[in-house]
Amino acid sequence: MERLLQYIFDGLSLGSIYALLALGLVVVFRGTGHLNFAQGEMAMICTFFTWQFHAWGLPLVVSVLLGMVAGFALGAGVEVSLIRRVAKKSEAGVFVVSIAMFLGFNSLAGMIWGNLPPEEMPSLFPDEPDDFVKIFGAVWRYEYIGIMVVALLLMGLLFLLFARTKFGLAMRAVASNPESARLVGIPTGLVLASSWGIAAAMGALSGAMVGGLAGELTSLLMFTPFIYASASATLGGFDSPGGAVIAGLAIGVGEQLAAGYAPGWIGQELRLGVALVTIFVVLLFKPSGLFGSAKVERV
Amino acid sequence: MSLLSITGLAAGYGPLEVLHGFDLEVNQGEIVVILGANGAGKTTTMRAVSGMIPRRGRVEFDGQDISTASPDSIVRLGIAQVPQGRGTFADLTVEDNMMAGAYVRRDDVQADLERWFEVFPRLRERRTQRAGSLSGGEQQMLAIARALMSRPRLLLCDEPSLGLAPLITQELFGVLQKLNAEEGLSILLVEQNANLALKVAHRVYLLETGNVVSTGSAAELAADDSIRKAYLGS
Repeated sequence: MERLLQYIFDGLSLGSIYALLALGLVVVFRGTGHLNFAQGEMAMICTFFTWQFHAWGLPLVVSVLLGMVAGFALGAGVEVSLIRRVAKKSEAGVFVVSIAMFLGFNSLAGMIWGNLPPEEMPSLFPDEPDDFVKIFGAVWRYEYIGIMVVALLLMGLLFLLFARTKFGLAMRAVASNPESARLVGIPTGLVLASSWGIAAAMGALSGAMVGGLAGELTSLLMFTPFIYASASATLGGFDSPGGAVIAGLAIGVGEQLAAGYAPGWIGQELRLGVALVTIFVVLLFKPSGLFGSAKVERV
Repeated sequence: MSLLSITGLAAGYGPLEVLHGFDLEVNQGEIVVILGANGAGKTTTMRAVSGMIPRRGRVEFDGQDISTASPDSIVRLGIAQVPQGRGTFADLTVEDNMMAGAYVRRDDVQADLERWFEVFPRLRERRTQRAGSLSGGEQQMLAIARALMSRPRLLLCDEPSLGLAPLITQELFGVLQKLNAEEGLSILLVEQNANLALKVAHRVYLLETGNVVSTGSAAELAADDSIRKAYLGS
């Protein structure tokens, strides 16, 4: 029982990071209809920015916020300078570009900051060995609680933006029908650039939290979290922000359970299998995801 | 005074030119109909006026050159379009659709929302429903109401009768005529249904393969034998 509760706690915390990244994927997908394979690597680069600001002597919280600002600029810049231009010519081209960015950002980080030895990355939250609270015998570390609270808070803000603001309405309108959005006077270019910016800023925050958990920073930082996030977005449905969050948390817990209860001879490697099998099964049986909408329109 | 003045309008898609340089005017307070068969360039004309596609020639609105203006600045100046096939935001609610229509406005839009709900009571009943679940007629009402939310001075309507029952079409045209008569809203309407078009139009342009081949008052065109044969079927 304690063990089960422990896995659920850990799973929810890690899952909230996946949810954050998955939400970034969904925001981009809803806006432009593209899957940004470089989402994880952009988050990794931004984490290096964050680390750099901190290394220059800025407080960590300020550095993370600046990293998010840099992320917004990077995301918006990529959309304006690359994605938009390529998408005009060919949709498949965008796919290739995002793969190219994946490799490019990875190499860039290695070039600027070096691959080895890893940089030390401090955590945003108290992470001494005795920084935890016990609930029904299960250990909940402050760092894990902090991650979950911050991630859920940011996601809450984002949902308010979607549902309650004029800009959110514009984002939903562009996602629903880009042509009509232009006809009612919505500057769709600005909206799309902002969607990419918001996604990258969320990635920057996830990166800072993943880096803090790992305690170190390499160009491989976001590789695994990105796979979990992709699985979450697939499971939740690529056009469903709420689905991405729920699926992210579910996959986090699933991963912990699989790793925890797996027989010894399989080992820890099974974790990643959870994500890959999820992607496979969802695409096979319900390609639009649990909460996604298969496009239906009455004429 | 002419509200919309088009001279030598040429436009198309990539290398394909659809409009070959014609002139067209809409005066303040007029209902002008563009009549033409499939492929004549009616929708392309609308898209060119709204700034959705690159165009050559000169387009002036209220004396201001909008030949190279972007769609959002054109809406801001006071031209709203009801696109062909309605183009509602299918997964947004009726109310959100209308609020999106008011995107360019900075003032309070609640009064306008109420007003169009008065005109289209069925939209009020369905205000929290997704637009995609509405019937064709209701979606067309929504598309018109959405365009009106921006408080346009010129309304472009691209085949509002398409796929609708005659009774609903009549109702919609009644609303458009009323807006025109009572508030002086200028309307540029594209139609394939000539009988319907000639009833509401002050003036008509006949478009054939990207050129204006005939123009005049609705009565003049209705009296023209060759036009009657080709478009009215009698």
